[in-house]
Amino acid sequence: MIENQTIKKRVRDYLVQATFAGHDKIKDDSLIFKEGYFDSMGFITLITFIEEEFGVKTVDADLVEENFESVNAISDFIIRKTP
Amino acid sequence: MTHFSKDIIQLQNVEAVVNEIVQKLRDDVLQKLRRLGAVVGISGGIDSSVCLALAVKAFGSEKVMGIMMPERDSNPDSERLARELALKLRVKAVKEDITAALIGSRCYERRDEAVKRIFPEYDPGTYTMKIGLKETGLFNYLPPVFHLTIIDKEQVIHEKILPVKEYLQIVAASNFKQRTRMSILFYHAELLHYAVIGTPNKHEQEQGFFVKYGDGAADVMPICNLYKTQVYQLADYLGIPKEIVERTPTTDTYSAEQTQEEFFYQLPFDLMDLYWYGFENGYPAKEVAEVMGETTDRVEALFRNFDRKRKTTEYLRMQPIRDYFGV
Repeated sequence: MIENQTIKKRVRDYLVQATFAGHDKIKDDSLIFKEGYFDSMGFITLITFIEEEFGVKTVDADLVEENFESVNAISDFIIRKTP
Repeated sequence: MTHFSKDIIQLQNVEAVVNEIVQKLRDDVLQKLRRLGAVVGISGGIDSSVCLALAVKAFGSEKVMGIMMPERDSNPDSERLARELALKLRVKAVKEDITAALIGSRCYERRDEAVKRIFPEYDPGTYTMKIGLKETGLFNYLPPVFHLTIIDKEQVIHEKILPVKEYLQIVAASNFKQRTRMSILFYHAELLHYAVIGTPNKHEQEQGFFVKYGDGAADVMPICNLYKTQVYQLADYLGIPKEIVERTPTTDTYSAEQTQEEFFYQLPFDLMDLYWYGFENGYPAKEVAEVMGETTDRVEALFRNFDRKRKTTEYLRMQPIRDYFGV
């Protein structure tokens, strides 16, 4: 299984690149949707990234803020959903 | 500022509003644009019906043409209702079936190719399809996600979250429909030296529920400052047939039946109108929440979503950027 820190780094790098925000803006606990870094298109791109990069498929029941609100939340979600 | 209330957007004098719009429509088309009349794309929906009636008031029925532009996925009710309205208003109605043009531009083929990547069993001959939003994001910070739905001949519904690549391909392919309609409208307008009347209402315009250079392209947009509630008031005043007024607003873009609320807005229009009014006029979320029977937190989240929607759709409303040299 990939280590938590590796997942966090890959998620963080992806978010920095996808949102055009600097590394100083996207911290592990930054609330990416609440703070307006990500819109609807950003969200479906993120869902696709999670599936392609980690093999984790998002289903309807997963579409809650707690799973996607920050780097920490997304990493936890990926770990939880990884068989 | 007036206290927020549930009837705050109701027009008090509909006749005066209609007269103001009609007068401006006349001035704009005849004086500013120097065109002789108006062409309106009619779909049997309330917005285009109100626009047609306004155009008739402005220019007279002999100087207005209604164009019906069905294609293979259109609901037959759209053409029937549009035709009935044109007859009632004594406007010449022309039917332009755009199916062949859409086949030529591979609209259906490109769209179905993306659908099949998600549902390999999808057969456009036996299934219907649509895309739409699930109510995930309106009252929280998470934006909504588009879902793809296919319905088989036994009416069994299959639904999946749309990955970005397929979402973009389905939307890009489907947008041929609105852009083909735009070309037809301008053809007829140029043929008669008329102007094209655009039919978007306030929500479509401000929330970006239109296709850039498709239904977003027109010479004048007489109802684009009106809330849907107000469009209904105008429809009542203008005598738009009951069946059109009572018809649920649909997208009429995909082969499966789909309401505008399901596709995009996620709220019934009467609630959307009030929340949007509160948002755009700077009413405190607390005041709006009290009137609407909601919590302040949820209304704050809703306002933030509206703000995000307006910002992320700004691209659609932008004109080409021209100031590159010699400014």
